[in-house]
Amino acid sequence: MKFHWFHGMPWPHLPADFRERNRSVWVDADSRLYEPVEGHRLYHEYLDQLEFAERVGFDGLVLNEHHQHVFGLMPSPQLMAAALARRTSRAAIVLLGMSIALYRPATRAAEEIAMLDVISGGRIVAGFPLGTPMDANYAYGANPAEFRRVYREHHDLILRAWKDPDVFTWNGESAKLRYVNVWPRPVQQPHPPVWIPADGVSSETWDFCAEHRYAYVCLASRGFAPAQSAMDGFWSRVESRGIPCNPYQGVVSQTIVVAESDEEAQERYQPHLDYTSRHTLGDFPGWTEAPGWRTERGIRERAVRTMADLGNPTPPRIPTWQERIDSGSLAAGSPVTVTEHLEHLVTTLRAGHLVGVFHVGDMPHDATLRSTRLFAEQVIPRLRHLWDDYDDHWSPTPIATEPLKRTTEPELAGVN
Amino acid sequence: MAELKTLDLRPGGQTAHVWEGGDPGSPALLFLHPITGIPRWGDALETLANDFHVIAPYQPGWGPAKDDLPGAHDGLDLVLFNVDLLNTLGVGSAHVIGVSIGAWIGAEIAAIRPDAVQSLTLVNPLGLWSEQYPGEDAFAQHPGFPTAVLFSNPDKRTELLMADRDPMDAYVGELLDLRASAKFLWPIPDTGVGRRLVRIDTRTLIATSEHDNIVATEMGDIWRAAIPGAQSVQLSDSGHIADLEIPEALADLVRNFALEGVTA
Amino acid sequence: MKFHWFNLMPWPHLPDDFRETNRSVWVDVDSRLYDPVEGHRVYNEYLDQLEFAAGLGFDGIGVNEHHQNAYGMMPSPQIMAASLARRTKDVTLLLLGQSIALYNPPTRVAEEMAMLDVMSGGRLVAGFPVGTSMDDNFCFGSNPATLRDKYRENHDLIRRAWEDPDVFSWNGEYNKIRYVNLWPRPIQKPHPPIWIPGGGSVETWDFCAEMGYNYSYLSFNGYVRGEALMQGFWNRLGEMGVEFNPFQGAFAQQVVVAETDDQAEQMYTEHLQYFFDKCLHVYPGFADAPGYRTENTIRAGLRAGGAQGLGIAHTLEWKDWVREGYIVAGSPDSVAEQIEALATKLQVGHLVTLLHCGDMPDDKARASTKLFAEQVMPRVKHIWEDYEDHWSPKPIGSEQVATPAPVLTGSN
Repeated sequence: MKFHWFHGMPWPHLPADFRERNRSVWVDADSRLYEPVEGHRLYHEYLDQLEFAERVGFDGLVLNEHHQHVFGLMPSPQLMAAALARRTSRAAIVLLGMSIALYRPATRAAEEIAMLDVISGGRIVAGFPLGTPMDANYAYGANPAEFRRVYREHHDLILRAWKDPDVFTWNGESAKLRYVNVWPRPVQQPHPPVWIPADGVSSETWDFCAEHRYAYVCLASRGFAPAQSAMDGFWSRVESRGIPCNPYQGVVSQTIVVAESDEEAQERYQPHLDYTSRHTLGDFPGWTEAPGWRTERGIRERAVRTMADLGNPTPPRIPTWQERIDSGSLAAGSPVTVTEHLEHLVTTLRAGHLVGVFHVGDMPHDATLRSTRLFAEQVIPRLRHLWDDYDDHWSPTPIATEPLKRTTEPELAGVN
Repeated sequence: MAELKTLDLRPGGQTAHVWEGGDPGSPALLFLHPITGIPRWGDALETLANDFHVIAPYQPGWGPAKDDLPGAHDGLDLVLFNVDLLNTLGVGSAHVIGVSIGAWIGAEIAAIRPDAVQSLTLVNPLGLWSEQYPGEDAFAQHPGFPTAVLFSNPDKRTELLMADRDPMDAYVGELLDLRASAKFLWPIPDTGVGRRLVRIDTRTLIATSEHDNIVATEMGDIWRAAIPGAQSVQLSDSGHIADLEIPEALADLVRNFALEGVTA
Repeated sequence: MKFHWFNLMPWPHLPDDFRETNRSVWVDVDSRLYDPVEGHRVYNEYLDQLEFAAGLGFDGIGVNEHHQNAYGMMPSPQIMAASLARRTKDVTLLLLGQSIALYNPPTRVAEEMAMLDVMSGGRLVAGFPVGTSMDDNFCFGSNPATLRDKYRENHDLIRRAWEDPDVFSWNGEYNKIRYVNLWPRPIQKPHPPIWIPGGGSVETWDFCAEMGYNYSYLSFNGYVRGEALMQGFWNRLGEMGVEFNPFQGAFAQQVVVAETDDQAEQMYTEHLQYFFDKCLHVYPGFADAPGYRTENTIRAGLRAGGAQGLGIAHTLEWKDWVREGYIVAGSPDSVAEQIEALATKLQVGHLVTLLHCGDMPDDKARASTKLFAEQVMPRVKHIWEDYEDHWSPKPIGSEQVATPAPVLTGSN
């Protein structure tokens, strides 16, 4: 079993009247709420947390891309990956990832991931998310009716740019390039492992991952039941191709907070979970369904839920601590409690990679480190043995080198 | 009453789904539908069929033509679709009425094939953009009632668009029609037609609706100024989808202007 | 005078028969010449050198963007800048720069530079190159006929994205976005200093004069040949009524320093030869796509930026290189003299030194860098001290600078 540490990089200083003055945390939230000097302190605190996670034994550090988002201050996560690549030496750097459909031409994504793979000595996981309508369509103006086709074309172009040693011509709908010839090329050949974050419960993503043998990343933020149905769907597509289900092809993400006792966990961490819920609950619904974002099949699948929601207009409210745990959207408590919860989650879903969200909302630095350390020291050892019988083909394969010799480490550069 | 026909168009064998009604001997009228497509042969078309040979196609991507969207890349493809349709029907030229996105398509046809257009009525036209009058974003709406903003009040969506249809089919159809609209109008409904409007030499009437949340009435003046000799009027008691909200008034407007040159 | 340490990041293993077996170092150079595992070592060596230079007191460390190029292996220099931001403390990060016309939409550049400015505590210089024809037109398929128009639109959009605190819509010829609303925003207000790296283009001069930006002439042909062009820029500023300030100009120059002139020749000739011979071997057909140069620039007889492969440096010898200014070279005394001559001729306040050249090994690059920092810089720093530099970053106060937690190497 492999364990990864995710950072979403939220803004932790939203004012009490935020919801009255802003219809959304995304796209059009008031930019005056962002304070760059505090942002400076915060970026470094967050990067320190990621580096700390490597030090205490996590296998990977996970970053993602959002635009104009109060709860995701990384428009280009590859910049954070670059910072981590030269300050870490062992952990995988999981870009989950760059929104490949938002690069025109997409060869830049191929170049940047190659650069990072070379700098890090082959520690990159290349995540290819479809993205969200908020990021792609509203903030970046990408046409939703074309978006999936563009995503597929860009995927094909990036893979060929990595693999084809010759100069080639690309005459696509999205890109027309007479000379494609990427320098540099990735260390990991033929390419870094590819992970695909789930797009809801979309059978198209299941097929795409199964067909290309990519890892499928299922986000359990909405709870255990939807995560299970997503993962079951994926495994059924793998099986139907006659491929054995290797758990390492499955990734599940989960919010995790650990304390000495269950009570302490609630007392210490509930306010920070509530910070996020309080500001995102009942967010502007107009961003969620850019016309054309879903395929006709996706529209029909989703329509059932939308119509049911309309029939039951209970006003949304912040879930209680116990509801979060019972629904499976949160693993919280003592190391023993969290171990049991996660063992159930990953064995039921057959997931070999766990992406833990340890920092949430306005959680302070020391509380984040404490929870991370407890997990590393008391939970990981209890779960590490899971899936021992399987080979993990979805983690990076770094080059075998001594940790980088850094002749300028670090006083000459003026750090510390 | 009219008939929904499926025709093979020359050239290339593209299929058209088209409502045809009225006396084939009457003057031809090409009806170019709004964002919401053509939910049924409604009162506007029925009234127009008293005076016209009404030809009301689903544009590629809307209604029964939903799977034709990938083949239509831009405005030129839409112009060619409509021109091919008129040719196939043996109609040399027609009066043209376009509502909402259909007004954009009508203006493109008149700019590119002036010989095919006898008169042009553009109702609540999309296709030009003004930062001063952006209107509501038709594509950032509550997914439960995504076209409510297109009506003068939200109940009219239920009453005029969704009524008499299977709720799930109507809802899915609504989203697919929006998808088709977004393909041509995303993210800002500036289609570039503004560069071509000066070429229009057909008699043109611009109409805007009093309660249109999407196209401000001031946009009517901007369109009128861009098309040589165009006239403009304002419609009361209607939102963006005027063919559903005020079918008789709209039909009167078209008949008076197209056949008699009267704009009152 | 300010001194910056710049690394192009060349591939140091081009074979002896490179000119015979490849028509160009750029665009269609054989990708099999690149070895990613060795590339790992090379990248980290180059990044170490940049940090080394920061530690020696250079004012800035610089990176730039090239694509499909064996002498410039940074398709996205912001990646390098990000790693440097977290491993240096007070040095300027000279991002020279991101090719803003190659972004669709360019709000990503606004976002990335904002991220870097925030990460670095306000140490970013934002370079906005038009880019070369090789990079823009041939590698990235950008249309040369509309490139400059698009560059201007993208510039305007980036500036507004940084400066307008409200959500706005952008209905441009090349970008349409309904909601522009950057998170995060740069520390430096209203925006980081903007430098325009260019070859010779009349429009670029006018643009810098109009906007008050720094013009950075990135040439590999040296300060003697650079004089006419740089004077063209200063004259243009004068014509447009802009008061002269040397810090509004920057120049890139190959520099090598050793204990003595002879030793410099001995140590560095082969590496400069590698650079002039192999790295500047650019197929002329890629240098100037139809439409890349404007009519005015063609009429002014100015070459396309980056077309320096058409030069003759590779046919010359050490003494010619020094005489004709392709390189500033020799003992610290000689180099200081040449820098003074350069400053007089070009009247630039910012010197972007290329102290790593071609296939120069790490020890030589460091030796040259160290001598320059310790024995040349102190003697020429005073030049232009009467002028105020408005084109360097304004970082946050040291008490506000975040210190990254120590990395415990090998602790795992």
